[in-house]
Amino acid sequence: METQKPARRRETEDRRHEGIVSGVEGFNERGRKAARDKELHDSVELFTGKAVAARNAVLHALPEAPELRKRAYRIKQETMANLDRYLEQMADNVEARGGKVFFAEDGEAVVRYIGDLARRKGAKVVTKSKSMATEEIELNRRLEEDYADLDLEIVETDLGEWIAQLAGDHPSHIVGPILHMNRKRITEVLSQAAGEELPPDVEALGSFARKRLREKFLAADIGVTGANFGVAETGTVATITNEGNARLVTSVPPVHVIVMGIEKLVPRFEDLSVFVRLLARSGTGQKLTVYTNFITGPRDEGELDGAEELHLILMDNGRSKLLGTEFEEALYCIRCGACLNVCPVYRQTGGHAYGSTYSGPIGAVITPLLKGQKDAKDLPHASSLCGACWEACPVGIPLHELLLKLRNQQVEEGMKGKGETLAFKGFENTMKNPALYKISGKAGRLVQKPLKKDGSVRPLPGPLGAWTDSRDLPPLAEKPFRDLWKEGI
Amino acid sequence: MRVLRRLGVDVIYPERQTCCGQPAFNSGFFDETRSVGRHFIDVFEKERFDYVVCPSGSCTTMVSHYYPFIFEDLPDERERSEALGGRVREFSDFLVNVMGANASDLGAHHEAQAVFHTGCHQRRELGLLREPRELLENVEGLNLVGWEKEELCCGFGGTFSVKMPAVSTAMADEKIKALENSGADTLISGDSSCLMHLKGRLQRTGHDTRVLHLAQVLDQKNGG
Amino acid sequence: MAGRTEFLETIRHRTQAGRYKPTHAPDVAWTPKDEPRESAWIEDPPARFLEELEVLGGHGRRVTTLEEAREYVLALAREREAKLLVRWDVPELEELGVDRPLGDEGVEVALWRNLEDFREVAGRADIGLSTARWAIAETGSLVLEGGPGRGRTVTLLPPTHVAVVSVEGVLRTVPEAIGKYAGGEAGGLPANVSFHTGPSRSGDIEMSIFVGMHGPGDVHVILVG
Repeated sequence: METQKPARRRETEDRRHEGIVSGVEGFNERGRKAARDKELHDSVELFTGKAVAARNAVLHALPEAPELRKRAYRIKQETMANLDRYLEQMADNVEARGGKVFFAEDGEAVVRYIGDLARRKGAKVVTKSKSMATEEIELNRRLEEDYADLDLEIVETDLGEWIAQLAGDHPSHIVGPILHMNRKRITEVLSQAAGEELPPDVEALGSFARKRLREKFLAADIGVTGANFGVAETGTVATITNEGNARLVTSVPPVHVIVMGIEKLVPRFEDLSVFVRLLARSGTGQKLTVYTNFITGPRDEGELDGAEELHLILMDNGRSKLLGTEFEEALYCIRCGACLNVCPVYRQTGGHAYGSTYSGPIGAVITPLLKGQKDAKDLPHASSLCGACWEACPVGIPLHELLLKLRNQQVEEGMKGKGETLAFKGFENTMKNPALYKISGKAGRLVQKPLKKDGSVRPLPGPLGAWTDSRDLPPLAEKPFRDLWKEGI
Repeated sequence: MRVLRRLGVDVIYPERQTCCGQPAFNSGFFDETRSVGRHFIDVFEKERFDYVVCPSGSCTTMVSHYYPFIFEDLPDERERSEALGGRVREFSDFLVNVMGANASDLGAHHEAQAVFHTGCHQRRELGLLREPRELLENVEGLNLVGWEKEELCCGFGGTFSVKMPAVSTAMADEKIKALENSGADTLISGDSSCLMHLKGRLQRTGHDTRVLHLAQVLDQKNGG
Repeated sequence: MAGRTEFLETIRHRTQAGRYKPTHAPDVAWTPKDEPRESAWIEDPPARFLEELEVLGGHGRRVTTLEEAREYVLALAREREAKLLVRWDVPELEELGVDRPLGDEGVEVALWRNLEDFREVAGRADIGLSTARWAIAETGSLVLEGGPGRGRTVTLLPPTHVAVVSVEGVLRTVPEAIGKYAGGEAGGLPANVSFHTGPSRSGDIEMSIFVGMHGPGDVHVILVG
C-alpha cells in the first residue's frame, strides 16, 4: 500500500517529544516543588481521598470482588500467553463486520495512518475521546506538525482533556486529568475560548463547554477513540465514560478510528462482565459508569448514525517486548487509576512530577518498560515500596515487585553509579562476615562520637546528608546487643 | 527479649547474625542480597528452634516473603528459605498467635495517649493489623487512639529516604500532621525503621512526642 | 497483509511470568469481612431498578398500561416546553401513540426514518424517545441496541431522554445483561450495544458534578407491565 510522505518531517533530538522529561534528579526536585505547592497538594489530597473512599465502599459491598480480582488476573494472563492468536481473531472479526484493521508497530505508524486517512477524506475536524494510548504517542501534536497542510482541528472532548488542551497543559491523573487545575485557572482558560468573561461557577462553565463541544461533535469528519477493552471473540471494542463524549465521537462522524494498545484485548465477550465492573468500581467508585458502550464494526444496514467506516489500529509501541518476561504483568493494567489514588508518593507529588504520560505506580513501572530505562531512570525509585498499589490493583498486579525488578535491571545493566555500587558491595561483604560486621559497628560508634549532638547524629556528609537535611538521626546504641547478650541480658 | 522470657520462652540469639539484606534488595542489588541472604540462612539453620522472632515487620517479610523471591531460580536455596520463612514470625504475631499472650499477663503498664503505626510490610504482606492493637489495648494506663490515614506509608522505604529525600520527608510530615490531629503524645510501632524515620523528623520539627517500639511498651511495668 | 504477519510474529511465545498473589491486608476490599451489602438476591427487579435510577438522579415510574406511559410522555413534553421530540422508529413506540397527541399540543415529532440530516434533527430536539432492549436492576441501567430505526444520537443529543421498557426486560445483574450477548460470534452482535446508567455527568471542574455534560442530563424510564 502506497503511503504518501507527510508534508513536513521534523527530526527531534529532544527527548521531551517522546513524552518523558525525567532524569536522575528530576523526580525528587519536581516532587519537592509539588509537595510545597499547598493548593496542588490540597487538590490531590481531596481527589484521592474521595476516590479511595468511594472505591472502598463499592468494592466492599460486592461479595464476589475477591473472586473477580483473581479471574481478571487469569484472563489477562491467558490473553498475553496467546496474544498473537487473539489479535488475529480480533482482526478477522472486525474485518468480517466490514471494519479495517491496521497493525501499528509504533506511534509513528499510527500518526501516519491517521494523517493519511484524514488527507484522503479531506477531513477538517477530528473529535477525540480520552485515550491514554494517543497521549502516549502524542498523536495530536504530531498530526498538527506532520500534516500541517491539512489544517486539521483536533478537539479533545472529555471536559478535563479539552480544558488541558486549551491551556496547553497535560493531564495529571488517568481519571481526573485536570485535578491540578483550580477553578480560577479553568475559568481563565474557558473564558479565553469563549471570547468573554465567564462566571467562575460550575454551571456556567459546564454549559459553555457543552455548547461549544456540541458544535465540534456535530461538525466532526473523523472520530478518534481509544479502547478500554477489545474482545477477540466478537471483534468488539468497549468505550467507557461518564460524560458521553465517546458515544458522540463514535456515533456522529462517518469515520471512526480506534487506537488500541494490543494489551487491551480479552478473549471472550463474557470476560467483559469481570472487567467493566472492576474498572468502574475501582476507578470511580461507581457500579457502572454512565456510558458503557460496545461497538462491533461499522454501522449496521439501515442505521442512520454510527460510523460508516471503522478503522481499528492495533498498536504495539513497546508492549510486545514485555510478553513472556518477568515484567509481563505490567500489561495486565486496565487503567483504572486506583494505584494513583492510594500511592502515598503520588499523593505528595501529583502526576506531573513523574514527567510522563503515565504517572503514579503504573506510570513508574511502564514508562521505563515502554520507553527504555535510560529515559526514565528515576521512576523505579519514585516509590517507598509500601505495596498499597498492589493492594488496590483490581487485577492484582504486584507493582511494588515490578519496581524492585526494574531497580535490579538497572543494576544488571550497569546503570548505577560507582559510588552506590561500591557501597552495596561493601554492604554485602560486611553483612556476610560477622567479624566485619562487629568491626564496622565499632567503627560506626567511633565515627559518630564527634557528630553526636544532643542525642542525634548530624550533619552527615555525602548522600546520607540527604537524610540529615530534614531529619535527625538517632545514634547507634552505646553497646551492641551482641555484647549485652554476652553479658547475660 | 525480656518480654519473651517473661512468657517463658527459651530465647537463643545466634551471634553470627548480621542483617537480612533488605537495604541492598530495595536498591535492586539482588546478587548482593542473595549473598547476605545465604549467610542469614546458614546462621539460623545451625540452631535448633521452633520459631525465629523478629521485632520488625519489614525484616520478617524480607525473610518470609522475599528470600523465596530472590532465590526463585535457585531451587535449593529457595527450599531452604521457604522452610526458614515458615518459622519466622513478627514479634506481635508471635506473642498473640503463637503464645496466646496478653498484655495483662505481662503486667505491662504505661501511661500515655498513643497511636500505633503499622509498618507497610506488616500490613500488606503479613496482614497483622489486629495483633499489636490487641496487645496495646490491654496495657494498663495506655489510651490507644485512632489517627487519620493510618494506612499511609511513613516514607522511609530504605534508600528511598535518601534518594528522594524531599518526597520522603513530605510523607513523614503527612503522618505527623495526622499525629498532631489525634492528640496523642506517644507514637508506637513494631518497625524500627519507621520509628527512626518518624522520630528523626519529629525531633527536627520540634515535637516532643515519645517514640517507642512495641516491645519497649510491653516491657514497662511501672507506669513509664 | 505483510504488516500483519510480521507484527504477529513478534508476539508468538508462551508466558512464564506471574503467580497471582493475594493480598493479606485484612482491611481492604479483597478480604471480605462483614456481610457485603450487595449479596442479597434481588427479589423485585423492577422496584430495585427504579430505586437505583433515582439514586443516580434519573426519574423512573412503573405503570401498568401503555396509556399511562403515553400520559407520562405527554406530561413530560409539557413540563419541558418541548418543541421537537425525536423518537425511534419501532413498533412499540408506534403503539405508544404519542405522535398525534403531541402534534395536537404543538410538539413536532420526528421519526428516525429517512432523515436528510440526522444531526440537525437530533441536535435540535428537546426530547429523545426510545425503548430499551433490557434494563439492569442492580445498577439502574438501560441496555440499548442500535439498529435500523434505533438512532444512537436519539438517546444522546437531546437534553431529555425518555425510555419505555417492558417490565419483563428488567434483568437483575450486569453479568446477566452481558450474558445476553456472550457466547456468540461476531455475526450475532448488533453494531452497537450500549449500557446507559443515569444522566451524563462530569466531575472535572474541582470535582463538582456537572450534570448533562455531553449526553442527556434529564433521564426518564417508564417500566410498563
